[in-house]
Amino acid sequence: MEKRRKGTITTTLLLGLGNPIIGDDGVGIHVVRMLKEKIQARKGLEFKELSVGGLRLVEEMLGYQKVFLIDSIESSPSEIGKVREYSVEDFKQTEQPSAPHVTNFATAFELYKRIEPEEIPEIVRIFTIGIDPEYTFREGLSPPVEKAAVELVDLIAKEIARN
Amino acid sequence: MKTVTINPVTRLEGHGKISIFLNDEGNVENAYFQVPELRGFEKFCEGRPVEEMPDITSRICGVCPEAHHIASTKALDAVFHVDPPRAARKLRELLYSAFFVADHITHFYVLAGPDFVMGPTAPKAERNILGIIGKVGLEVGGSVIKHRSDALDVIAAIGGKRVHPSCGLPGGVSKPITEEDRVKIEKTAESEVEFAKLTMKLFDDIVLGNKEYVNLITSDTFATETYYMGTVDDQNLVNFCDGKIRVVDPDGKEFAKYQAADYQQHIAEHVEPWTYLKYPYLKKIGWKGLIGGKDSGVYRATPLARLNVADGMATPIAESERKRMFETLGHKPVHSTLATHWARLVELVYAAERMLDLSRDPEITNTNVRTLPTFTPDEGIGAVEAPRGTLIHHYKTDERGIVKGVNLIVATTNNHAAISMSIKQAAQGLIKKGDVSDGILNMVEMAFRAYDPCYACATHTFPGQMPIDLKIYSKNGGLVQRLKRP
Repeated sequence: MEKRRKGTITTTLLLGLGNPIIGDDGVGIHVVRMLKEKIQARKGLEFKELSVGGLRLVEEMLGYQKVFLIDSIESSPSEIGKVREYSVEDFKQTEQPSAPHVTNFATAFELYKRIEPEEIPEIVRIFTIGIDPEYTFREGLSPPVEKAAVELVDLIAKEIARN
Repeated sequence: MKTVTINPVTRLEGHGKISIFLNDEGNVENAYFQVPELRGFEKFCEGRPVEEMPDITSRICGVCPEAHHIASTKALDAVFHVDPPRAARKLRELLYSAFFVADHITHFYVLAGPDFVMGPTAPKAERNILGIIGKVGLEVGGSVIKHRSDALDVIAAIGGKRVHPSCGLPGGVSKPITEEDRVKIEKTAESEVEFAKLTMKLFDDIVLGNKEYVNLITSDTFATETYYMGTVDDQNLVNFCDGKIRVVDPDGKEFAKYQAADYQQHIAEHVEPWTYLKYPYLKKIGWKGLIGGKDSGVYRATPLARLNVADGMATPIAESERKRMFETLGHKPVHSTLATHWARLVELVYAAERMLDLSRDPEITNTNVRTLPTFTPDEGIGAVEAPRGTLIHHYKTDERGIVKGVNLIVATTNNHAAISMSIKQAAQGLIKKGDVSDGILNMVEMAFRAYDPCYACATHTFPGQMPIDLKIYSKNGGLVQRLKRP
């Protein structure tokens, strides 16, 4: 039941976010699964799949020095299947007032940054793939999103190899 | 006529919105709460082995996967006609109590707390957990995070993971806990009880100590008379995991008490063409529309409802707090929607005390945690009290255990009609002569927020917010004002 603490062997987290049973929404999880197959297991690297947001999401990032967060993002038709990279600062403007049910990522990240500054990752790179949001349960990815997932896997694998 | 639209949109809940219609005088004529529903879940489950359901259903909610996991596991017990050993039942309840602790802590401090600590009309940039920390200090914030996190560690010790536990099996759980685990859980539970007591004291000091807030809680603007629903044990005490579902009328008199398996005899669902989400109602009373009172089948299943239907709490401090709540408010059942926050804290105390009791139970480390199913699977219903209300899972399978049908009644669905009514009532009490400031909008939202609605059981959201898009239209339909939460 011990929590992770910085300084343990694993220092980089590849975190796939999404819902694998709502089609393209789960692309982050598909990307992490593909990365797990592509990248040889080695010290200092860990993989996680999550279908949560807010506090639970940020809690799972604590104790790592670097996090690659991969998720889908609702996009206009021309952006579907496009890979983008963001930083936490890009979401700063979404810090929210009191909410009905959930705390968003930016608010949760800022909260942990203030309360557990030693545990919050120093580097968070957020990679997204544009999707048309779905409201129907299904498994698998649409062709443009699957293509983008392969592209993103290559990109992240190269980044990991370089470091 | 003007239209005010509060549009709580996330990626998965994209069409959820509150529409408030103003008359020529700028007062509220009507209000509607429209909710999307993720489609095709039943179809998605059909053809899969029913044993997969606890893992699949825990993916339909990113906030309360534990509730779906345990309800689903109980449905599997029923599908396979198998009784789990006592230690397995206790481990499930221990996990579930830890989940309630984490969930209720989060709701009070992070979601509802800002309204009271910062004030309902405080600038919106300050009205959040970051504002609270700025006001009460990092130490309290750190304690909130610690106790929430420690409760999730208990979930991991029993369920295998802090997120999306996977221990539920038909007939029990996947593994026992060790004595080493138990000692850690006991230590955690002791700390959670103290933190729950501290939280109750904070509520006393900040909320009950402020006459303005007490007036708000007890005002007609936030009161709705309905039936109430919740699970009780054989002594009519609140129970989150096992027991019968009890319903009381608006006067507090028992109206029904039944096994979850009989839910279809008591609950029916009304459909409106303008919203995806159904309106469950009491079958014997009937659907009379979005109105309260004894003649309407509308009911609520919330923390306050659970306390309204029960004769007490099974643990001493929670029972003392429950009594104090009803004595202070002067009557039972309590109809004030905002009193749900108080009830939630009574439940927080109960969940922490229950964790402690179970962690000290000599049977909790018993290694007999599974009864292997031997009967042919067919049909089963499982229910728990999710933090925000009664949750029912109903599965039908063929003789091989392949899913043929699924029906879920999630907690917020139970409250759909009451949420709509509470919003309308708050809007009518607060919006006058077309004045819709951010503070007033937030106070209307408070009626909504008290239910802790999880209205699409959305799975995850990133950035994960529910932005508010408020639109005011002129009499001829033109947009004259827009207030948008980022």
